[in-house]
Amino acid sequence: MKNFKLPDLGEGLPEAEIVEWHVKVGDTVAVDQVLVSVETAKAIVEVPSPQAGIIARLFGEAGDIIHTGEPLLAYEGEGEDGGTVVGELKKAEPGAREERFFVGAAPSSRRARANRATPGVRALAERLGVSLEQIKGSGPGGLVTNDDVHKHASHQKQLGDSEPLRGTRRTMAKNMALSHAQVVPVSIYEDVDIEGWKKGTDITMRLVRAIASACETAPAMNCWFDGDNLSRRLLDEVHVGIAVDTPDGLFVPVLRDVNHRSLKDLRKGLENLREAVATRKIPPGEMQGATITLSNFGTMTGQYANPIVTPPQVAIVGAGRIRPKVVPYKGEAAIRRILPLSLTFDHRAATGGEASRFLGALVEALGKP
Amino acid sequence: MNTPSGQTVTPPESRAVNNVTLVEAVNMALAWEMEHDENVVLLGEDIATNGGVFRATVGLKERFGYRRVMDTPLAENLIAGTAIGMATQGLRPVAEFQFMGFIYAGMEQMISHAARMRNRTRGRLHCPLVYRAPFGGGIHAPEHHSESTEALFAHVPGLRVVIPSSPQRAYGLLLAAIRNPDPVVFLEPKRIYRAVTQSVADDGEALRLDTCFTLREGEDVTLISWGASILETLQAADKLAEQGVSAEVIDVATISPLDRETLLCSVAKTGRAVIVHEACRNGGVGAEVAASIAEAAFLDLQAPVVRVTGYDTIMPYYRNEQAYLPQVDDIVEAVEQVIAL
Repeated sequence: MKNFKLPDLGEGLPEAEIVEWHVKVGDTVAVDQVLVSVETAKAIVEVPSPQAGIIARLFGEAGDIIHTGEPLLAYEGEGEDGGTVVGELKKAEPGAREERFFVGAAPSSRRARANRATPGVRALAERLGVSLEQIKGSGPGGLVTNDDVHKHASHQKQLGDSEPLRGTRRTMAKNMALSHAQVVPVSIYEDVDIEGWKKGTDITMRLVRAIASACETAPAMNCWFDGDNLSRRLLDEVHVGIAVDTPDGLFVPVLRDVNHRSLKDLRKGLENLREAVATRKIPPGEMQGATITLSNFGTMTGQYANPIVTPPQVAIVGAGRIRPKVVPYKGEAAIRRILPLSLTFDHRAATGGEASRFLGALVEALGKP
Repeated sequence: MNTPSGQTVTPPESRAVNNVTLVEAVNMALAWEMEHDENVVLLGEDIATNGGVFRATVGLKERFGYRRVMDTPLAENLIAGTAIGMATQGLRPVAEFQFMGFIYAGMEQMISHAARMRNRTRGRLHCPLVYRAPFGGGIHAPEHHSESTEALFAHVPGLRVVIPSSPQRAYGLLLAAIRNPDPVVFLEPKRIYRAVTQSVADDGEALRLDTCFTLREGEDVTLISWGASILETLQAADKLAEQGVSAEVIDVATISPLDRETLLCSVAKTGRAVIVHEACRNGGVGAEVAASIAEAAFLDLQAPVVRVTGYDTIMPYYRNEQAYLPQVDDIVEAVEQVIAL
């Protein structure tokens, strides 16, 4: 219900007596329709309705005295009850507003705080054409000193300006530092004898398929791990991120659902991804959602590595350069083609045993002709 | 979960409730936490059957029962003290004082007991409780219903003093206050209880305590405020933008302990600070902010730190209350003064 209070009838009088109601409960009234006649000390006044509505209740009958400000009648519908025993609260205009704000300092403010210097040093930097943002202060509390500015200025004179990282290289720098800060990496290494492989075997395809099969043996390695909430998600499908080196930086396109697709289909998929990377036309979505990563640096040089695991993934496989090596074979020294493997995993998410079994399965799958 | 520093907070699409006022956001946060933590109980004058004078607790007695939403006698000392007893024995009470002007009777309990319970008992007992009170002027109320005496509490070690300035922050900060293991004085700026509506995500996500919020990024001057004055401060920033002055606006939010780092970062960038608060000037929290900037950011300053505040007098009645409260033009004038240097 929404109350209508007896208004000040314009004569500054404190009360009025109800003479006659012109409406009853249940009536539908229009704006300005006469509701009631009241008698004040001076005259009989007709009170009009301030709004359209249905009458829900009448307070008082003919002959009753109503004081100014007391409820006279009530309309049906939601009342506006703002509470308060004293005072008046300003009401908002309706309408949904969104608010955006930074928790703590704005990024631009943080940067500014990182470059503290006395006014004299600022003036010096300006004179020498040096930006304080590029200087790490050596004074107390990171204050940039005269010496710092001079040193930087002479460096700059000799070497020219440093090149700020952009795009992929910048992203790589950030992501690598982030994962390095979070992950607890452990690496293990093993060699595979691939002398039995047929000529022309597609190495990357073999590696991708072997990873998929090893994931079935050790599901803990094909997993997304959430270090903040200490939870993990074991995944059925294997999506292999394949590290691709380009002049612009590192790209990791994702070859999806490796364990359920035909070799031909996979090869075509990989070629498409490589092509898209080479022409810089790969959509961001094609580089997300990997469950495990392969770094096939063996196409260049290097045997073993400790590649960086990218959260939420748990493992990364490194494949080194295939080379002939003298190894024991059936009790004799023999020259065989050897593929060196590295496995780095996040020890927060998987045990050494799981990693070792994974590597074992990988070696077994790759060892077949 | 806390939001990492520097991240922009926006309400997600889902669970968003539209047209939420600050006082409704308080109600939403109380309801969420009572629903998810059976130890949360409410007590205060007229909060149960009546729903509170400002309707902050409306509907909660009906939903959670009178054992968890309790009407108390008109005795603030009792409200403050009972909450301490409840808190030390495992409950998480949220006690309402009807107006800040009535809180003083409870201060003996708040300062001499709640604030130092953890210290005094060498960590055996602690007080996870919230003291809520509407504060501030500008609603045509008498003087003892209009004061901003937050500095009294900011001076007391062991009390956290948190002041929301928007529905979104009221929701997130009240949840954080209830979940905090030590006493929080949660002061609600009643002048803006219903003055602004926002879309608020009712998802139980708390904001971080002990941090400022940067509401607006700017280059030329840092405007520092809290509570209802945030509204005038933002309007002043709009006006200044028309004059080509880019103002950063910071909502201090937790006035004790003060997040000095955020303030210093901003002043390092702008070199100028204007502090706006409704409370009287002498010994106000603005003085602490100004002193902190002078101590730690002197070398960054291009101009003296200036305060725009209420006056060192009793809050005037209705007719003169606008003369007492900092107005948009007062803030703009103060900025013009520091920009001129």
